[in-house]
Amino acid sequence: MRHSFIDRYASLDSPLHVLEARSKLLAFTALIVGVLCIPAERGSLFFIYFFAAAILMGVSQIPLTYIVGRTFLILPFIVLAGLAAPWKGGYLGLGILFIRAVLCLFLLVLLTNTTRFVELLRGLRRLGCPQILVMNLGFLYRYLFVLTEEAMRMKQARDCRRVGRARFREELKILSSMIGTLLIRSFERAERMHSAMLSRAYAGDFPVVSPRKFSLRDAAFLAGVALFITLSFWIR
Amino acid sequence: MHIPDGFLSNPMAISLNVVSAANVLYAARRTKIDLSGRMVPMMGMLAAFVFAAQMLNFPVLGGTSGHLIGGSLLSILLGPLAGSLAMTTVIVAQALFLQDGGLIALGANIFNISIVTCMSGYAIFRLLGRNAGGGKRLFLAGFLAGWFSTVISAAFCALELGLSGAIPLRIGLMTMVGYHAAVGILEGMLTAGVLNFLRKVRPDLLALEGVGKFRIPDWIGAVLFVAIPAAVLVMAGSSTLPDPLEKLLETSPLPPELGSGNIPERLASTLRLEEYLFRAAIFIVLIGLGFLAVRLTRRRRSRS
Repeated sequence: MRHSFIDRYASLDSPLHVLEARSKLLAFTALIVGVLCIPAERGSLFFIYFFAAAILMGVSQIPLTYIVGRTFLILPFIVLAGLAAPWKGGYLGLGILFIRAVLCLFLLVLLTNTTRFVELLRGLRRLGCPQILVMNLGFLYRYLFVLTEEAMRMKQARDCRRVGRARFREELKILSSMIGTLLIRSFERAERMHSAMLSRAYAGDFPVVSPRKFSLRDAAFLAGVALFITLSFWIR
Repeated sequence: MHIPDGFLSNPMAISLNVVSAANVLYAARRTKIDLSGRMVPMMGMLAAFVFAAQMLNFPVLGGTSGHLIGGSLLSILLGPLAGSLAMTTVIVAQALFLQDGGLIALGANIFNISIVTCMSGYAIFRLLGRNAGGGKRLFLAGFLAGWFSTVISAAFCALELGLSGAIPLRIGLMTMVGYHAAVGILEGMLTAGVLNFLRKVRPDLLALEGVGKFRIPDWIGAVLFVAIPAAVLVMAGSSTLPDPLEKLLETSPLPPELGSGNIPERLASTLRLEEYLFRAAIFIVLIGLGFLAVRLTRRRRSRS
């Protein structure tokens, strides 16, 4: 079965990719906070941030269509949420909300697609995220595809065996036993995997092979982002 | 139900981030999970399971489809603390992989979907189905846990959005709660169905919840963790409520030179002050970042 891999472009080699995970996490968080702090009456600032995001996109060497595609995949939800009710600020308020959300999405897509997941986890860990959460994320990343494939196979099997649609209660029963089966299989897989890990000298940590180090480049990048945000808010 | 960046007001997003971080840290400490034990792959695997189970959708009326959300199921199986940790993993992963839910809104999403859902689902299940041998009672407890947790979490989501001024509070609350009261039926049925299935096939898994048992201090803590954010919500969102300052200005006898100017103008000046505060905060954060960067490079150099 084919999957669209979630961090397909994360192992490129652009100037943005070679930075260390922590510096990217901090910088992108700062940029998103910057976007969120733009007051509504200074709309021109949005263009400056769009420009910055565009530069980062260009540097990252990720195809533009991919970034935009990913962003617009989420967009319907935002539009739906935005149109759910008549607005306080009228169309202008709606527009600003929209631009803000798109800008944040661009930055988030850039962050996750320029960092390999293992490194992102290591960065999170070294920024003080609890070890258990980081390890959970690691397992989730590794076994997501396995379990999704399992789920897809079960779904295919169900669709092959039935014609049309059963009654609501029957459908519900089928689906809950499918989910239950998936749950039991996950449990058993976790148990098998744990013994496999123990027999390979697992002691509560995953070493990362040749991790990137915090270098002068990262310091320069952080300084640049900091300067940009400060200037963008200072200069009128 | 995942809130994207830009929808919450900044005070709201920040306070919810703090609350969620405190909660996750507490749960991580309190569960005292042995990092080399079998619980680590188990929780990670269950988080992946929730992700995968959401792929198994179910045709609902009118061409749309629903799927399991899974918070209450996880908290019933693992206990509320470990369950909410696993669910938090799912939400962080959804934000990072699928960009479903923003980065700054992550705290709000963790609070709504993981903490509130797991706590309320677990509480309802324990109250109703503690000694449920099986059959109808287990089904009912599972159903109500799933349904209520979905509705409560939707109410919190609407409350946060409404108080941030993103949507009108009353209409938003009614829409969200109404919609999720319908969605919650499916969630409740599936939670109950899965529990029933497990009881028949692997009853030992239902007794798994030995990790991080919930005791009375935890209940008090849980209530506080829900009550404090609720208070913060009300305070942070005071911009959409009738402004106390405005009311004060209307009623109190002020000196004429102060009272004569129209109120929007004065509010604008307070806004400017807020902006200056933001600038100061950003400046401090940036200095902190620079400091950190210098320290990190120095440490690395001394090591190599």
